[in-house]
Amino acid sequence: MIAHFDIDAFYASAAQLDDPSLRGKPLVVSGSSRRAVVLTASYEARPFGVRSAMPLYQAKTRCPDLLVVPPNFQRYRELSRAVFAILETGARAVEGLSLDEAFVELESNDLDGAIAYARGVRARVRGEVGLTVSAGVATQKMVAKIASDEAKPDGLRAVAPGDEAAYLAPMPVARLWGIGPKTQARLALERIERIEQIATLSDEAAFRIFGRWGRELRELARGNDQRRVEPERETRSVSTEETFEEDLSDPAALEWIVVQAAHEVAERLAAHGLRGATIGVKLKLADFSAIVRQTTVAEPTRDGALIAAAALRCLERAELGGRAVRLAGVRVARLTEDSLEQLSLL
Amino acid sequence: MKFQCSTKDIAVAVGAASKVVNAHTTVPILSNVLLSTAEDGIRVRATDLELTLEHQFPAQIVEPGSVTVPAKLFSGYLGNLPPGLLELSGTPTRASVKCERSNYDFHALPPDEYPPLPSAQRGASFAIDAKRFRDGIGAVIFAASSEEARGAVLMGTMLELSGDRLTMVATDGYRLAKWETELARGLGEEGTVKYVVPSRALAEAARNLGNTETVEVSALGPAGNQLAFAAERTSIVVRLVDGQYPNYSQVIPSQFDRSLRVNTNALMASLRRAELLAGDRASMIKMSVANQELIITANSDTTGNAYEELEIEQTGDDLAIAFNARYLVEILSHVDSPQVVMEFLGPLSPAAIRPGEPVEGQQQMYVLMPLRQ
Repeated sequence: MIAHFDIDAFYASAAQLDDPSLRGKPLVVSGSSRRAVVLTASYEARPFGVRSAMPLYQAKTRCPDLLVVPPNFQRYRELSRAVFAILETGARAVEGLSLDEAFVELESNDLDGAIAYARGVRARVRGEVGLTVSAGVATQKMVAKIASDEAKPDGLRAVAPGDEAAYLAPMPVARLWGIGPKTQARLALERIERIEQIATLSDEAAFRIFGRWGRELRELARGNDQRRVEPERETRSVSTEETFEEDLSDPAALEWIVVQAAHEVAERLAAHGLRGATIGVKLKLADFSAIVRQTTVAEPTRDGALIAAAALRCLERAELGGRAVRLAGVRVARLTEDSLEQLSLL
Repeated sequence: MKFQCSTKDIAVAVGAASKVVNAHTTVPILSNVLLSTAEDGIRVRATDLELTLEHQFPAQIVEPGSVTVPAKLFSGYLGNLPPGLLELSGTPTRASVKCERSNYDFHALPPDEYPPLPSAQRGASFAIDAKRFRDGIGAVIFAASSEEARGAVLMGTMLELSGDRLTMVATDGYRLAKWETELARGLGEEGTVKYVVPSRALAEAARNLGNTETVEVSALGPAGNQLAFAAERTSIVVRLVDGQYPNYSQVIPSQFDRSLRVNTNALMASLRRAELLAGDRASMIKMSVANQELIITANSDTTGNAYEELEIEQTGDDLAIAFNARYLVEILSHVDSPQVVMEFLGPLSPAAIRPGEPVEGQQQMYVLMPLRQ
């Protein structure tokens, strides 16, 4: 069995954990500049329509009493480490997706055992770390992730073996991995709105609509996801990316996001005991085209400031010229063990 | 304008200038070279606004004036001409070239839109033997950073002038190159003057000025923020890097407590072989010095083990230290001496590398930081 865990409103919850006066109040983690963007909104802020990646000024308009807390990636790393340590007990493999999200392949092969594990993790994270984490349990990755999304906040959702297809059937097609707005538009023309309609496509129709990967997508829709949980030692790159609620065209706001992402990646490198030499930026534009720019630094690093500077150079080289961006991310690859360090003269 | 000249002279001059042109410029006129008539020839100028190169070649002037031509295109054309004479006549919008039985018209841009030469106001100046200057540039600029992310200062090379001495220093923070020599003519001023010069400008200077006797170097502009390098027919003007260069003398240990002397080529060959097996571990090679022997090892889980033994002249205590082999090989390849001397303080302290047989009148040294395991 596979479980997916996601810490609820991680950055915001971390702030509320450390400062009790913030608890129960609408708050966002964001920068202080006028151009800053919301990194995480607390659950108290969400009823006001405040969402992550929203420009801060807009969030403040929607929620005049909004509190703003600066990010503290070092603290997030500490908390993340504590949570991941809890996940390890009873796990065959743990694949961290970011500081606050992971897949776990369980030693237990039955549903009850998996649910017991997930309950145990949730209770321990609450008791020992002080955060709430939502969990999804299923026989495969995609269903487990969808289930934990459904369970949010502070919930657990399990899908029994054999029930995957039925669980997915009524959901909108956008929940499937790999279906972006472009494919969605295409599917709308075909009047395909729910996952079960993809599950029942013929080979021919699947190929006609999706091309080469049609069959694979149909298998996903039928609840057949063969992907394994890849444990840490196979890590080849560390990255983080964010899709914005609304396309972002303000260059300063985008730069700010990229700098934050660089610092998050730096903390994750540190958490994994790694350094990386190739630093890249990934952007998806409003027209769904993708731009990737990368650069290699002379010495593998996990210095957030250097990763940020390199990422900003990549962003500059992307020559956006004010074009709107719907997704931005930072990736560090060509990883080496942290223990080997080129000493510096300066 | 109109002039006649040898196809070879103009091809060399335009070819040299076009190397300065930034292929990705968004300002159309900066893709062009400017040709202007002078008293006894033609001046070709190219600039990317940071670096300006001007080269003069002999020509028969028929009608004075200037013209601008797309650099890459024109230099490609000239490079394919047979030896002989050509005639060029230019207007603000066209450059027409006749050579034997070929006639070409190139679209031009108005020469008065070409960026003017930097201020001619000269400040402090010095002169250096051209061959020596070229050697010094070759010995240091490779050690400068090539990462814009680490800032323009480390991408530059520092020229420090003090009395009759010039010291050039380049570092990327992991290795440092230092080279010193006597000047043909010093600044003639008290105190020390420092310039941080973009390293690529020095590379251009070495390429274009090295075949002459002496290079004249002078500060330009009211703030002295540009440096001009001139020799015979060529001059290069570069905008200096604005920023504080790291205090390099602070990071070079004043003395070392152990050293080894070894054959340069043998060491380099051993390192190159060993590095092949260290590729996926930061190119780490380990050096162990004991009993007048140097043992180099490298290993990785995926490739295997390397072991090399070299005879050395050892002075002082034994030592085990690890380096990135790429850095060490790159330094050694700039040491033009049969023997090389390496000096150490300990496994986590900077090591110095110097030629075993120094060139008279020049001091060359490198500092390399080890790897921590």
